[in-house]
Order: sequence, then structure tokens, then C-alpha cells
Amino acid sequence: MVQIYFRAQDKTASVPEGTTILEAARRAGVIVESPCNGIGTCGKCRVKVCGSDREKLVCEEGRHHLSEEEVRAGYVLSCQTKVYGDIEVDAASTAAQNKSLKILSDGQSFAYAIKNHITKRFDGEKTLVYGGDTLLGEEPGDTTNAVYGLSVDIGTTTVVTALIDMLTGEELASASALNPQSLHAQDVLTRIKFASDPEGLRIMYDGITEEINRMIAYTAARAGIRTENIYEAVYSGNTTMIHLATNVDPSSLGRYPYTPQITGGNEIPAKMLHISPFGLIYLPPIISSYVGPDITSGVLASQLEKKKGTTLFIDIGTNGEMVIAKDGSLSATSTAAGPAFEGMNITCGMRAGRGALELFEVGDDGGIRTHTIGDTAATGICGSGLLDIVGELVRTGVIGANGKFVTPEKGSYPENLKKHMVLLEGKPAFQAADGVYLTQKDIRQVQLAKGAVRAGIEALLLSQNVRAEDVDLVEIAGSFGYHLRAKSLIHIGLLPREFEGKVDFVGNTSKSGGKAFLLNTDLRRHMETLAGKIEGVELSNREGFDKLFLSALSF
Amino acid sequence: MNRLYTELAQAVAGMDETAAERLAEEIVRQGLPVSEALEKGLEAGMEEAGRLFENEEYFITELLLCADAMDAAMKVFTPLLKTSGKPAKGRIVIGTIFGDTHDIGKNIVALMLTGAGFDVLDLGRDVSAERFADEAVRFDADIIAVSTLMTTTMNNIRAVIDVLCRRGLRDRFRVIIGGKPCSKSFADKIGADDYSASAPAALRLVKRIMREKYAE
Repeated sequence: MVQIYFRAQDKTASVPEGTTILEAARRAGVIVESPCNGIGTCGKCRVKVCGSDREKLVCEEGRHHLSEEEVRAGYVLSCQTKVYGDIEVDAASTAAQNKSLKILSDGQSFAYAIKNHITKRFDGEKTLVYGGDTLLGEEPGDTTNAVYGLSVDIGTTTVVTALIDMLTGEELASASALNPQSLHAQDVLTRIKFASDPEGLRIMYDGITEEINRMIAYTAARAGIRTENIYEAVYSGNTTMIHLATNVDPSSLGRYPYTPQITGGNEIPAKMLHISPFGLIYLPPIISSYVGPDITSGVLASQLEKKKGTTLFIDIGTNGEMVIAKDGSLSATSTAAGPAFEGMNITCGMRAGRGALELFEVGDDGGIRTHTIGDTAATGICGSGLLDIVGELVRTGVIGANGKFVTPEKGSYPENLKKHMVLLEGKPAFQAADGVYLTQKDIRQVQLAKGAVRAGIEALLLSQNVRAEDVDLVEIAGSFGYHLRAKSLIHIGLLPREFEGKVDFVGNTSKSGGKAFLLNTDLRRHMETLAGKIEGVELSNREGFDKLFLSALSF
Repeated sequence: MNRLYTELAQAVAGMDETAAERLAEEIVRQGLPVSEALEKGLEAGMEEAGRLFENEEYFITELLLCADAMDAAMKVFTPLLKTSGKPAKGRIVIGTIFGDTHDIGKNIVALMLTGAGFDVLDLGRDVSAERFADEAVRFDADIIAVSTLMTTTMNNIRAVIDVLCRRGLRDRFRVIIGGKPCSKSFADKIGADDYSASAPAALRLVKRIMREKYAE
């Protein structure tokens, strides 16, 4: 056995010789970003190893190559590096990242009456607690004025929990954190694979349950209430996250015909949560394996089926989930955009934390205006910055319609932009800030990601037999979407040009819709009926999807 | 080398469908050997397209336009190949593994292999291990090419190897794999013969395998 000490986290892994640094980190509970899941292509899992320790390592050739500078500085790809002796490693601390991470916790909502599933009645001695018509339990004394609930948005990357006074509808406190499951598996498919055996499922389930319990304790303390007076939680999230959070084997979601094991639209006992011993969890209805309760919550929050005309609702993230509503007729689909929008698989990509270039604009004179999270020097590019840069460079002609950089010699774009065109390891790249570049490969990643979402939009428009110009309103949901700019989405062609002036950013509707589910039991029944009527459009079965996707790749 | 071959190669790499067709007709009219035109015109052109793709100059869209140009020329040559007898280049059975329905990448590989003159049988998607084996035998394939996009289905590829071994057919076919979650080390792990990271790389790999086969 060899010892691997992670300095920033002060944690040690004791592992057999030949284990990779990434595996060791996972065993020690140290989060190392690994979006390509350890196949050596993305380069995000790089860590620094002390100079003298390097001879105890065997580095395999990954498809991602570290620069000479990085190698000299002692960086290695943790997924491709096997350890044969005791070493010390510097891996970026996610606790620090977590603090600076921008997580949006609010979303649009609508007016509804409070009509709780949970009700209480004091009989003179004790308080009876009901879930609908069913007596759940009783408490000594009169506790009728203390009824609390939770709206939990379980994202693949982040989890947001809001503590709500169910008598007033007021949000008392909220907390957010990285989803601890990403420690073992970053994307949805890798998580399905991980949880396909009982041990993996247990790790996923325990991880998310512990984190939610931590947030319950935190929010209850902040609000000064007793956790026993929390009676219900609404779990909103994608279909896979809901399977994992309720301890249900998700493996059927990972293979054709992609069938969910649960349908949602029901209350289950919340024995695993540190709330009232007879507490419940409500699972909003699942539309399909890749359109889950988070979208049902979004449809509810946006009141899509009630809107006149045609509305397109899109949650942009690793998956682009979308629903189109045409005068009350709804269809939904999902496309795999991949992690590019999260800044992953991008040369200088990073999450939306301190040092991330998040805004980029080119003025009429060719002058560049940028903003970096934390107002420091930029160290990388996050998703919104990435889409801004590509969008602006397409608009100004630095990037051609085919996605290729136009060289300064051939281009007719402003002089100032030409100065930013540099050669990086012999290939053209755009210098967005000091040491922060956009490469040709990055543009290709953006093309693939936006092409997937755009093809999904086109397929949905076809499903309702409407043209882009017939769409009256476009709602972009999700905490990632909230930081985007409509013009960038249109410049890169993620959205059709006809959507200009119709785009609205509605925020975390998974959470606000979850809150509505919590506070009004009629809405649950209403959405359970509606979800059954939403047509699921399965893109990979659709004739001609190839063509839609390929034509959506260009700018 | 005849100037027409070079121009044909340039037309293919330059995505010029009309020029490719015109040059092919000219080659036929002049009675030049078609097998040479295939090799020095079409294949050379597609190889150049592949190089541009890997250098990030071209993207999938351009690669497909090159394939279209190649196809236009190929249509002109095909009737002559039938009479003169087509040289056997290699036979490939290709498909997306069971459990997975994502096939855009696989389709591009199939298109490039067909364009390069290989005989390709595309089994489509969600293809069982047994079907891969059955069809490979029936088609008298040299190579079985298996693709997947999803991490959750990559392990299913192993079943193809298992079926071949069980039926005593493993040595008869070379099994190559591709798709986003795959890698060379994964290919080694499941006992596949090789892996390629992109469509042009797959074409190169198939050519190499066939060269080795005929050298034996």
C-alpha cells in the first residue's frame, strides 16, 4: 500500500500500488474535477505533485496534453497517473470553489392559495397531523402554529434547499451546496453506471441524503425552528437524481428504451431525513427518463399550459430539457449538450467561481469589455463567458459561419481584435484575457453543444407544427441559464434569430415550482394529470434528426 | 501521375461536388484506369479531408460535404467497377451496440468507409451481440466495428467479443470500437483489437488492418 496525502484538504488515501491519483482522491473523499470520467481527454483533473515525488509516478499518455510549462511546474493528469510510492499532492480545494460558486436559488412564480397536504388539528390535549385525509401521527400539546416544509432542488451539480413556513408560504432560510455524488461520478450517465450495482447505489443515496440532512440542520438553525416541525419535503430534480435520492436502481435509464422505474406524483415516507418521524417526501410527476420533476416544477411555475399562443421553455445545462406549449398542448424533449456550458472540456474552462470570465462584449470600435467573478484577474472562462466570447466573435467575423477562426490576414474585423488573435502551440487562438484563450477546439465543443440544443428546439417546433417566428415567448430556466445573455444565445445560433426580443430568463423554477407543489395539494393533482398529457419527443428515434443536428452545427 | 487525379483529390478535399463529378467523367472519358482514380483521386482527397478535420480546420459539416463530393465521383465510377471487377478492399459490419440509439457518429464512419471503397453493412442501432456475430458471418466480414455514445452501454461491447469467442469465431474477425466514452485502454480491457477517436482515424485504422491482413 502507498500513502497519498492531499495537502489542501488534509486527507490521506491509503491505496494499492498502481492506483491512479484520481481513484485515490475519490477514496479519500477529495473532489477532483473529472468531467471526462478519467479517460484522459479533458485535462481538468490536473493536480500538482511535489518535485521529488515524481519518480514514484507512472504517467500514461492521455489524449489531453499538458503544456510544457505545466509539466515543469509539476502538474500531472490525476486520472492517467499511477502511484508507486508515498506522495504529496496539491489538488484545488472544492470547499474554496464551493464558497465562490454562483448558485442561483430564485425562480419566477405565480399566485396560488396555500392549501397544504399537511394539516394539523389540536384536540385539546394533543395535535393530530394529517397528510391529506390520512392521520400521520400525533404530537403532545398544541403545535398547530409550527408547520414547516422543504423545497429541495437536486441538481446534477448543485443542490438547493429552501425551508418554508407552510402556514404563511414565507421562505425562512435556504442553503446550497455541490451535489456530493459528483465526487464519484460527474455526469448523469456516469452516475447511472456507478449506481447500477447495489453498493454504488447505496453510496449515491447516502451521499445525497447526508447532504440534504446537513442543509436541513443548517436552515432550521438559521430560522430558529425545530426540525421535528418539518413535515414534508418536495424533491425536484432530473429523473436520474430523483431515482438516486429515493434509493431506486437507475440502470434502466441508461439503456434503450430508457424507462424510468418510478413515475413520481406521489408521497413517500421520509424516514431517511432528520425531520418529523412521520414526515413525507413528495415527488412531482416524471414526464420521461430525461424530462424529470425539475421540468414539471418549471412547467408549473411558468404556468405553461395556461399561456396563450406558443411558449418555449428551456432549461439549459449539461442536458437541454425543453417543453413547448401551444395553446395548452404540450410536448417535451431533452438533448445531451455535454459539459461545455459548464466550462468543462474547454481549454481554459472553469465553473462559475472566482476568477471566471463571465461577460465579454465587443464595442463598435472593436474595444473589449469583460467582467470576471470576484473582480479579480481572469484565470479561466465559465459557461456564460464562453458563449459571450464565441457569440461576439461570430458577430464580428473573427469566427466564420463554419466555426473556423478567420485569420487576421484574411479577416476584415477591427484592428483591436486582430491583436488578440495569437498562435497557441502553433494554432490560432483568441486571447480573451491575460493567459486566457479560446482555441479552435473550444469552438468545436460549443458547436456540438449548441447544435444539440438547437436541434432539440427545431424538433419540438416540428412536433407542434409551428415555425420559429410563431413562438411568442421563450423562457430560459435554470441557474446556469440565468447568467446568459440572449444576444449571445442568438449569435451562436443556440436560439433561432426569430426569437430576438422574446427571451425571458426565469431563474431556478425547479425550486420555485417545488415550493408551489409543497404549498398547494391541488396543484399536485393538476400537474399529475397534465404530465400524462405531455407528449414526450424521443429525438434519437426521430427520422431526420441527424440532419437537424448537422445543420445546427454552423453559426 | 495524371493531373486529373490530383484535381479530383482537390475537388473532394475542397467540398466541390460538381467538380468532382465532372473530373470523374473526364477520367472515364479518357479511359484512365478507374482503380488508380479511386486511390490517387478519391482516397487521397478524403485523406486530406481527414487531415484537415484532425487539424481542426474542418468540422463534421465539412467532412460530410467532402464525402458528398466523393460520392458524386464514385457514382460515375461504379458502373465501370461492376464490369471490370472491383478489387476486394475489405468488408465491414458496423453498428451501435444494444442499449444505445445514438448513431450520428457511427453513420459518419460508415459513410467514410463506404466512400473509400470498402463494403459496409450498417446494422443500425441497438444491435445485439448475437446479431453482430450472425451478420458478420453472413456478410463474410473482415472487420466488426462497434460504436456507443453512452457510458452506461460501453460495457455491452464486451458481449460481442464474448459471443465471438463462444462460437469459436474470435480469430475470424477484427473487432474495432469507437464512440465518446471509449479509449484505447478500454479496447484493450475488453479484448477488442483496436480503437479510433474520430471518423478519419477509423478510416485509417481500417486501411491499416486490411493492409496487414493482405501482407500475411
